[in-house]
Formats: sequence, structure tokens, C-alpha cells
Amino acid sequence: MKKRTVGALLAGALFSSLLLTACGSSSNGGGSSTSDSGATELTVWAWDANYNVRAFEEAEKVYDKEVPDTVDLKIVENAQDDIIQKLNTSLSSGVTDGLPNIVLIEDYRAKSFLEAYPDSFFPLTDVIKADDFTDYKVEATSVDGENYAVPFDTSSTGLYVRTDILEEAGYTVDDLKDITWEKYIEIGKAVSEKTGKKLISLDVNDLGLVRSMINSTGSWYTGEDGKTPTLADNEALKVAFKDVKAMYDAKLVDDNSDWSQWLSDFNNGVVWSVPTGNWITPSITAQEDQAGKWAVVSFPRQELDGSVNASNLGGASIYVLNVDGKEAAAEFLKDTFGSSTDLYKTLVENIGAIGSYIPATEAGVYDTEAEYFGGQTIYKDFAEWSTQIPAVNYGENTYAIEDILIKAMQNYLKGDDLDKVLENAQKEAENQLK
Amino acid sequence: MKKINPFLKSKIMGWLFVIVPTLLIALFYFYPMVEAFKLSLSSGKGNNLSFVGLANYKRLFSDPVFINALKNTLLFLIVQVPVMVILAIFFSVLLNNKALKLKGLFRTIVFLPSVTSLVAYSIVFKYLFSNDGIINKILLSLNILQEPMAWLSDAFWAKIVIIIAITWRWTGYNMIFFLSALQNIDPEIYEAADVDGASAGKKFFNITVPLLKPVILFTTITSTIGTLQLFDEPMNITQGGPGDATTTISQYIYNLSFKYTPDFGYAAAVSYAIVALVVILSILQTRLGGRDEKKSK
Repeated sequence: MKKRTVGALLAGALFSSLLLTACGSSSNGGGSSTSDSGATELTVWAWDANYNVRAFEEAEKVYDKEVPDTVDLKIVENAQDDIIQKLNTSLSSGVTDGLPNIVLIEDYRAKSFLEAYPDSFFPLTDVIKADDFTDYKVEATSVDGENYAVPFDTSSTGLYVRTDILEEAGYTVDDLKDITWEKYIEIGKAVSEKTGKKLISLDVNDLGLVRSMINSTGSWYTGEDGKTPTLADNEALKVAFKDVKAMYDAKLVDDNSDWSQWLSDFNNGVVWSVPTGNWITPSITAQEDQAGKWAVVSFPRQELDGSVNASNLGGASIYVLNVDGKEAAAEFLKDTFGSSTDLYKTLVENIGAIGSYIPATEAGVYDTEAEYFGGQTIYKDFAEWSTQIPAVNYGENTYAIEDILIKAMQNYLKGDDLDKVLENAQKEAENQLK
Repeated sequence: MKKINPFLKSKIMGWLFVIVPTLLIALFYFYPMVEAFKLSLSSGKGNNLSFVGLANYKRLFSDPVFINALKNTLLFLIVQVPVMVILAIFFSVLLNNKALKLKGLFRTIVFLPSVTSLVAYSIVFKYLFSNDGIINKILLSLNILQEPMAWLSDAFWAKIVIIIAITWRWTGYNMIFFLSALQNIDPEIYEAADVDGASAGKKFFNITVPLLKPVILFTTITSTIGTLQLFDEPMNITQGGPGDATTTISQYIYNLSFKYTPDFGYAAAVSYAIVALVVILSILQTRLGGRDEKKSK
């Protein structure tokens, strides 16, 4: 008898708690809260503990010096993929609970988020001075003339080369300055013959190299509207495909299948050159016994009119979400990443991060000599190259189109006709992106 | 207090116990399913969804990426499920041998892969088959290969690696079902066969296999459903590549929702395609498996 009552109670309790959860709480919290000290707590989502997370830590220090005890940053480190998933699920469900105030988004994905969730981001047009930032970053983070982000790191690209291997093959660093991809491959062949070292490490599932190649000519997968695919008859893309195939054909490529294999390829001297964004610097310098053996030269250009020896790869900007605390967040960004030359000075000194804030470049914060690179002023070089990067509209479909192009590249490497391969890719992209 | 008929009371109690799980299932299974179906009738970027009726389902049939993902998934299914079921039967028969010593140890070894995390083992496989991975090193030192084989960047071999990986992970799991079924077979049947002078092969095909049929059906259906939902392995070993050589339907759903500009409506439609496939294949398999049983009765 008693047992049964307990059972009924249990069942009843379960039942009612079920109803409660079903009704759900519809509170619209999210974002900031005020901590004990009276400072506003702002949540930040960022990836890469050694780079982005530390950048925010430095920013908080700078801000605390100016206006003490107003903001308390809570920086949450997440993998970039996780941030994308969390943002997508939260924003599409309309539940703002648990969303951060400030979030880092990769430039290639920016338009996708801004277009998909139009009212979820807080416009920062009045917070930053767009003229203070490099063109291509502003272009990547604006929609309809409205700025939605404080541009952060310039992912200005360069060509990292092993000077000792070059010397062994009878070349100097100067031979690689301001060259074309054709020349780069030619040198690669010669070095490979003399030293047996491969030129470059590539992942067949990542077209980052192609992306940065065409960016240097001011070309992209889509037209100026950021929507219409421009794959067929895209000269820059054709040249990029040809160059990549030339590298494979000459057996200059070592295949990698993820980031860590890529790192080990150049840390262990399997390949002697790394054409990529400057965010790779900490990974290069991680191999301490190769100190003094690396140099950075300008990114090769395409053999096309208008192509420059500078490009972009990756890079992110800082966004404010439209939740409680957005004003405080915007205020914080305005005084730190938006206008603090001091911050950019500490960033380059402590983590080697190069911002896209032009006054910082002019103030000479990037003049530091990098011991690891034989005293070369690499930050200054990167900052200088970053001003030449052609601004293109990355649009919202970079990764969707890239998946199509990865297939196209596979077919082209297997021997299919280039024009045909790109025409098919164009058709597929047009169908998919209706 | 008025006395309630004890029979009625226990009946009410019974219903209460049934209602709770039923409601939970309805809330957490059927409600999302209905919502997902409603979602699959709209399309658009992120939050800008608009009703499009059955357009998403029409789009499925002309979407080369979906068709390719479907082909890949079916290929994994057709090649991998039979291989795995046969291997599982083979191992279970071996391990059921009365004369076998250290039975517990061997059973544990075969079952052990099933306790590993999907992501963790996928990453281990990726490294085994990488350019400077141990597989290449072994093949090179045995002079079978002259230079490292790019397993994961070759469309054919990448598929093989995925199939090897899934087979390694799930064979032991399926073996357990066969093992328990084998232990339920009456040893007298085998004794009678021995008396009649039946060979080991005859005993296997005429006694063991027919008696294992319900389990074969069960493992085939669960493996089929599992393979249709294949995600962790291609995502972590090959990222669906090279190109789209190992992209599966589930991975395409992930790409549509998270990698590209999200179109949750179309992604929901693709997931309903999996539902349809699971239903069709399960019905087919039960029909094929069940038919003979009726005959023998």
C-alpha cells in the first residue's frame, strides 16, 4: 500500500516536471551580467589559446588601465568549428541565453553569418573609423555599407623559406623575392634535384593556396555581388589550378591530411617553403633548433595583369552580438582594438599578432626585429604587404563553392580538361546556390 | 476516504507508468520529428526561412552532391555490411569452440574496439594511414611499396580505409549477438549431426546459419541503419575527401547546416531522405529474411 503511494507520487512528479520543461522558460537573458565589483561581465568566444585568447587578455589589461573596473572579460576558448556550430544553433533557435557578447568570426564566414542572421549582430559603424583599417578587412566585414566588426588580424601572406636549404642548392633569399608562381616552381624543381627536399606541403581537401593565389589578382570564386559564381572563364583561377597541378606533376608536393601533419612537414624539414598567412609564425618558430634558418619573402604573384606580391589567407574580425551588454562591449572594443596603438604594440611584441589598424603601422609598432628570422623585420614586411592586398568581396558561399572546386581539382589532377572541369564546377555551383 | 477497487487502482498505476515514458518519447522523439518535417518544407539562409512546399524534396533528386553522397553511403553499405556480418559469424563460431583455451581473453580482444570512442579511433586510423604512418612504413620496409602511398588522398583507397575502419570498430559488437545466439543452440542437434556423419562445413551451413537467421537479420538491419547514418569516420579520417569521394549523407547534412551558409530547411529534407531509406531497407530486409521462415513452418 505504502509502496504504491510512493510510486504514484514518483510518477506524478516525473509527469509534472515534464510539463514544466515542456513549457520551457522563455526568459531572454544572454550576454552580460554585473559582477560583485560593479564591473560589467562580458563573455568572449575565441579560438587559439596562444593567439586570439591572449589578444583579448592583453586588450582587457589595456582597457583596465584607462577605465578601471568597468569591464570584466570572460574569455571562453572554443575550437573555431565549435563556435560556428554554437552560433548557428543559438541564433537559428532564437534563444539568446548563453550567447557571448563578443565573438570572433573568420572573414570568409562573416557574410554568411551576417546575411543568415540579419538582426543578431550589433552594427559598429559608429564605433570604429573604417578608414583606420585596411580596405580588404573592412570590405569583408561590412554589409550594405554598415560595418559589423572591428577588423582584427591581418592575414597578410608571405613565403616562408629555409635559407640553409636554398644555399645548399645555390640560391639566395633574394632570388625568391617578388617572383611569380612559375618561377617559384622552377626554383622548387632545381632545389629538389640538388637536395631531394620537396617544395610544399598540401592537403587535397583544402584549397587555401588557390584561394590566396587568386586573391592576389583581385579575383574570387564569386563576382562583386558576392553571390554569382565566377568559376568558368576565371583566368586567375585557371592559372592557379595550372600552377598547383605543375607542383604535383613535378613531384614537389608532400601530401598532408591535417594541420598537425602540415606543421610536422615543415618543422621536420620535409619541405623547405611554406606560402601562407602570417599566423603561422608561432608554429614556425616553435621549432627552436631551426632558429636563423628561416626567412620570409613576399608572396609569389600570378603571371597576370594586376596581380601583386601580396595576398590574404584566413584572418578573423571581432563582432558584437545583439544581446544585453552590447553597448558596453562596443565601448570596450572602441577603446581597445578600435583605436589603441599601445594594444597593437603589445600584441606584436608578445604574440606576434599583426592587426589591420593602419595608425599602428604608421606609428612604427611593427619595427621589431625577429631574432628567429635572422633579425628580419618580418612584422613590418607583413604590415606593408597587407596594404597592397586587393579587396575582394568574399561573399557568403566560400566554403560551399570550395567543396565543389576541391572535386574539380581532383578531376583536373587526374587529367581532365581544365576548361571543362571549371565549367562543370560553375554549373554545379549555380545549381546549388540558387 | 472512499475505498477504490484494488484492481482498478493497479490498473491506474500501470497506465501512469506507461504514460510517463510515452510522453517522454512523444516529446523528445515525435515532436522533433514533426518539427523537422515542417522545417523541411521551408528553405532559406539561417533565420530567413520561407515556406517552399516540396521544393526541397524536388531539389534532392537533381542535387549532384546529394546523389554522390547517397552513392558513397550505399557503396559503404553494400560492401561493408556483408563483410562485417560474415566476419562476425566467423569469429563467433571460432570463439564458441568448446576446445578453445583463453576464450575470455580472445572474446575481449575482438570486442574491445567497440568500447573505443568513434572520434578517437577515427583519428588513430587517420594517422595509421597517413603518408609517414605506420602502414606505409611497414609496406615500405617489406618492399611491397617503393614510395609512400597517399591512402587518404586517393579516391579509391580512401574508401577502402573507411571500410576497414568501420569493420574494425563494429565487427566485435556484432559478434556478441552471434555468440549469444550460438550458445542458445541446443548441442543435441550437433550431436545428432555428428552421429549422422555430417562434416563441419555441412553442420555450419545446414544447422548454424539457419538457426542464426533471426540474429543475422537483426545485425544486418542495425548495421544498415548505422551505415546510413555514417558520420564520425569520414568526417575525421578523410573530411569526406579527397574531393567528395567519401562524403556520406550525414556529413552532407552537417555541411549544409554548419560548414556552408546554413540552410536548415534543406538539411532537414536530406535527413528525411535517410529516414525514407531506413524504412525501405528495413522492410525489404525483413521481407527477404522472413519469407523463408514462413516456408519452413
